[in-house]
Amino acid sequence: MAFRNRTRKNSEISTASLPDIVFLLLFFFMVTATIKPIEDKVQISYPKAKAMTTIQMKTLVRELSVGKPNDNRYGSEDIITVGNRIIRVEDIPQWIIEEKAGLPEAYKDQMIVLLKADESVKMGLISDIQQQLRKSDARKVVYRTLKE
Amino acid sequence: MKIKNRKVQEINTGSMADIAFLLLIFFLVSTTILQQKGVSLNLPEAPEDETSFRRITDRNLFKIQINSNNQYLIEDQVRENLDGLRADLIEFIQNNGIDPELSDSPERATISLKTNRGTDYKHFIEALDEIKEAYFEIYASRLGMTTEEYRSLDLNDTREYQLYEQGKEGVPMNISIAEPDQTNS
Repeated sequence: MAFRNRTRKNSEISTASLPDIVFLLLFFFMVTATIKPIEDKVQISYPKAKAMTTIQMKTLVRELSVGKPNDNRYGSEDIITVGNRIIRVEDIPQWIIEEKAGLPEAYKDQMIVLLKADESVKMGLISDIQQQLRKSDARKVVYRTLKE
Repeated sequence: MKIKNRKVQEINTGSMADIAFLLLIFFLVSTTILQQKGVSLNLPEAPEDETSFRRITDRNLFKIQINSNNQYLIEDQVRENLDGLRADLIEFIQNNGIDPELSDSPERATISLKTNRGTDYKHFIEALDEIKEAYFEIYASRLGMTTEEYRSLDLNDTREYQLYEQGKEGVPMNISIAEPDQTNS
């Protein structure tokens, strides 16, 4: 049998589409992830639960952390933090107003508060927070928990 | 003017992949994917005056109380743990007026969860979780699913949303979070 020896110039694998693939991955991570807030101020170990639901509307979520402070300067009592600042229970309505102002008009009353509290926090503080949330009409609460 | 005979000029894109990789690694390291899972609850509206409270007859109310030593008082019986609570709740909700001690109808059945100021958050969540799980079990069993399948229904999908609503129909989650007593007993 006679083989015809074709002359091949480009026998390399084309890497031209590699940047496209990498950019795709890059955009995926940029969209699905948010930049980690600077150092959590409180220590939180979440309680465990089974009946969990995933929040569908991620843009409506505002986080509220409750727990023992990492830094001794803030004492040893449980503190409430939003973003990177410490607030008092009485400041919660003000915070809600500020956060609601940033939401589109149609979603203002659908704001979801994600309560990230340590499992050792006393219910006295939690219910004080709940009372403030009820007062300022942010009544959708999700208690952050881990899968059992 | 002299026109040089040039070949087709291209910008070298060989380093593009490197740049993109660098950015990719930066984002991978500096970001965390938001984990927004938890036990959801709708708080009741703030009461305008004391008289606006709705009276609930005793048979329609399932009382769970937790004291500051994290002991449970369920329907006026002291309990050390929550074993069997879910089965009791399901029986209570789906009684439909058969047992005079239990609820009239699923619509009227209300679960009241009352804590003390000294109760640990952990125990509150455990109890709340049992209540929600009981409701999810009812919803799922009406559709012949497991609770896992029911919870993973995609609410953005019209057909799955209808299924979800079908499971919930007529059995609202009446969970009442009572304010704790001011005394620290």
